[in-house]
Amino acid sequence: MTSLLQDPLLWILLVVFGAAVAAVTRARRTNMALRVQKDALQRDLGAEKAERGELRAELTAFEHRHRDELSEVRQEAEEETKSVLKAAMRTLQVLADEQQLIIDRTQKSYGDDPHVVADLMEIDHANSQFNRRAQGIAVLCGGWLGRREHPASVYDVTRSAQGRIRHFDRVEINAQVNVTVVSKAVEPLAVVLAELLANATNYSAPEMPVVVSIQSVPNGVCLIVDDYGVGMSQEEKDRAAALLSPQGPVDLVALGNPPKFGFAVSGVLAARYGFRISVDTPSPYGGVRAVILLPEDLLTAETPAPAAVGGARGAAPDERPAREPRGLAPAVPAAVPTAPTRPVGTTAGGLPKRRRVAAAQAPARTPLPGQDQPEQHDSPAGTSSETTASRLGAFARGTARGRDTTTSEGSEEQ
Amino acid sequence: MTRPSEDDLVTGDFVRSYVITGGRRLPSPTDLSLHTLVTLAPDRELPRQASPEVRAIWDICGGGYLSVAEVAAHLGLPTAVARLLLTDLAEQGHLLRRAAPPAAQAVDRGTLEEVLHGLHTLFG
Repeated sequence: MTSLLQDPLLWILLVVFGAAVAAVTRARRTNMALRVQKDALQRDLGAEKAERGELRAELTAFEHRHRDELSEVRQEAEEETKSVLKAAMRTLQVLADEQQLIIDRTQKSYGDDPHVVADLMEIDHANSQFNRRAQGIAVLCGGWLGRREHPASVYDVTRSAQGRIRHFDRVEINAQVNVTVVSKAVEPLAVVLAELLANATNYSAPEMPVVVSIQSVPNGVCLIVDDYGVGMSQEEKDRAAALLSPQGPVDLVALGNPPKFGFAVSGVLAARYGFRISVDTPSPYGGVRAVILLPEDLLTAETPAPAAVGGARGAAPDERPAREPRGLAPAVPAAVPTAPTRPVGTTAGGLPKRRRVAAAQAPARTPLPGQDQPEQHDSPAGTSSETTASRLGAFARGTARGRDTTTSEGSEEQ
Repeated sequence: MTRPSEDDLVTGDFVRSYVITGGRRLPSPTDLSLHTLVTLAPDRELPRQASPEVRAIWDICGGGYLSVAEVAAHLGLPTAVARLLLTDLAEQGHLLRRAAPPAAQAVDRGTLEEVLHGLHTLFG
């Protein structure tokens, strides 16, 4: 035993054992401490995560609110801009309208000089295009076009639209029917058609025509604009379709710079007045085919369309009121005779008004008022003025014929 | 400024004159002067694709001679524009024209005195 106690190996073993126990104990303690620390850290992490989630939710909410507020502000700003623009365009529209009246007047005053009239036509053409632009912007800003006083034939609406674009001489009209458009739809339809014609002429070769066909369909009338251009891509078609059936106010900024107003203006007016526009059918000529469908309630029988057979009359009286708003017009339908006429007073323009008389009677040309008196002595009271007119007419024609030695009636057919 | 609305009237001729002429050159006034008289040639048919203006000319010229100025006034168009339409019709043979009656010429005093003398002897 003693020997065993004296064995150094035993002591070494004991020391090693002691050290091992101490080490294990310390390791366990450290382990326990680490575990506690880990738990604490995990708890902390959970809390942090929850906080992060909260913060993120808050941030999203803030972003949403910010976006809403921003769009609200933008919308408000756009509304304000639009109302300012609308008022500004209104003054331009009024000025262009005034200028058009002045041009009309001047053209009539200097009507005999072809050079002056041709120059005035150029000014007029520029003015019409100017007015169309102002009208377009006004419409996009929620403004109105104004109303024509009279209904107009769809043929005249087409010609009016034609006059509002730059290349009006490339437009061909192929009217198979001629119906009358109610007065409130006359100006909007002309503006829409002008926009479609402008697109068609701008996006096709300069030497190619643009054809407008007017066709009758079961529930109204179709105006079909065909061009010989390259057509539109699907993307462009989708964009056009969206603009042509707008779901709300038009976003001016989205129209690009320089802005492309045409479809947007057409869409707003179509929605407002109830006609339909589509550009999704390809044109048989390869370009774009734009179709305006004018429903029956925008057509009227107020001024009947001229009949095809024996209907030379009718056209003029139909067209006059719409074309001539200043006093002369109302007199014209009555003053458009098929039979010889004689003056019955004067029009607002100071011209002799003529009334239809019996066809057998010769036209009485410019009798002088002073010569009425001697003739009336032997005339029956009822017909005296007509007899007088007829005699004076015969006299005037006789003297004219007598003095005209170089020609005779009928030989001058051109 | 009044509030713009749908009810504001748009004035001005609806179809502009350069559309009616199709942007063509206007004829010079020497051919069809203001007081040249025109009427429809007999037994003519209105062209199928006649514009409303040509139809109107057809109506107002159907009944006898009218001067170019009168035609223009009835159409409410500048004379030069009416003249272009009339020139077209004349070229297609639809129109008869007569030169305006020439102004009365001054007859010499001697002739007048002789006529007066003759009348005196007859009725005096």
